[in-house]
Amino acid sequence: MTAAKQLKAVARDRVGKGAARALRRNGQLPAVIYGDGKAAAPIALDANMMNRLIYAGGFMTTIFEVEVDGKTHRVIPRDFALDPVKDFPLHIDFLRVAAGQTLTVDVPVHFINGETSPGIKNGGVLNVVRHTVELEVPADRIPESIQVDLAGTQMGDSIHISSVTLPQGTKPTIDRDFTVATIATPAGLGAAVEAEEAAVAEAQKAEAEKSE
Amino acid sequence: MLSPKKTKFRKQFKGRIHGVAKGGTDLNFGQYGLKALDPERVNAREIEAARRAITREMKRMGRVWIRIFPDVPVSSKPTEVRMGKGKGAPEFWACRVKPGRIMFEIDGVSEEIAREALRLGAAKLSVRTRFVQRIAE
Repeated sequence: MTAAKQLKAVARDRVGKGAARALRRNGQLPAVIYGDGKAAAPIALDANMMNRLIYAGGFMTTIFEVEVDGKTHRVIPRDFALDPVKDFPLHIDFLRVAAGQTLTVDVPVHFINGETSPGIKNGGVLNVVRHTVELEVPADRIPESIQVDLAGTQMGDSIHISSVTLPQGTKPTIDRDFTVATIATPAGLGAAVEAEEAAVAEAQKAEAEKSE
Repeated sequence: MLSPKKTKFRKQFKGRIHGVAKGGTDLNFGQYGLKALDPERVNAREIEAARRAITREMKRMGRVWIRIFPDVPVSSKPTEVRMGKGKGAPEFWACRVKPGRIMFEIDGVSEEIAREALRLGAAKLSVRTRFVQRIAE
């Protein structure tokens, strides 16, 4: 896990559509901190900085220490809203994290050794069924990602969560042995192989005719 | 070409496309996608032409998902027909696309190929689009 990142914010005294739009016009981003049995705290952050942080990666699994008017809140992002057309952030939800708490976090899945997988080498496509896996994790040890090893996977294989080594102290929230990814046969591969075989047969036939 | 298997009514009002997309604005399946920037009625022929252009550029490798479906029947009157005498016959199927809608998603190819494939696909569509990719995790 990465160390907690520091953020500076200011408390908002007005909430609602009009106030949020006014903030956005001034280059700020409305957000809220909630949870841990305390009252929700509406805050405003720097919009450019939050845009960079969201697109830098690993945003949803990073703990932040948000300083609001001299008081520090330890939080994790729970959700963010993006503009549907231009994809800039509109709002962020932060959840307060208490010490020793267990959280449910969507941890990204990273695939390694794809280049050594016989299935992918032979033209198979890695079909990612779950880009993230929901895990129950201790708040002080949130994994950055789950590594899925593709070495030795053949075309048509499925990788289930039971075959993935999860970080210590974590467990998936879904009880069943769900699929994380499959090595699919691309639609074009069957036709391409047939075309290649036909070309080879034609060449052999032409060669045989020439030799006669 | 895509079209509904059966419909409750043969003809629909023309309608207007207002506002931005409420759903289907994020990538759900693939790594890369094509996002609509304007409101437009995209017909089934355009969708099929774009799909072909994309899959051809991808050398039929990888995967393509079509996130829109043409379920609006569009009627038109024959040529040299006077006005009136009722609504014309259904001619083609179209999909009402709002700004922000992800229209195509692809995966299993490099970013370079994905950009080119979606550029070629976008050229077949009557709507302005933008290349989008999944936020790095």
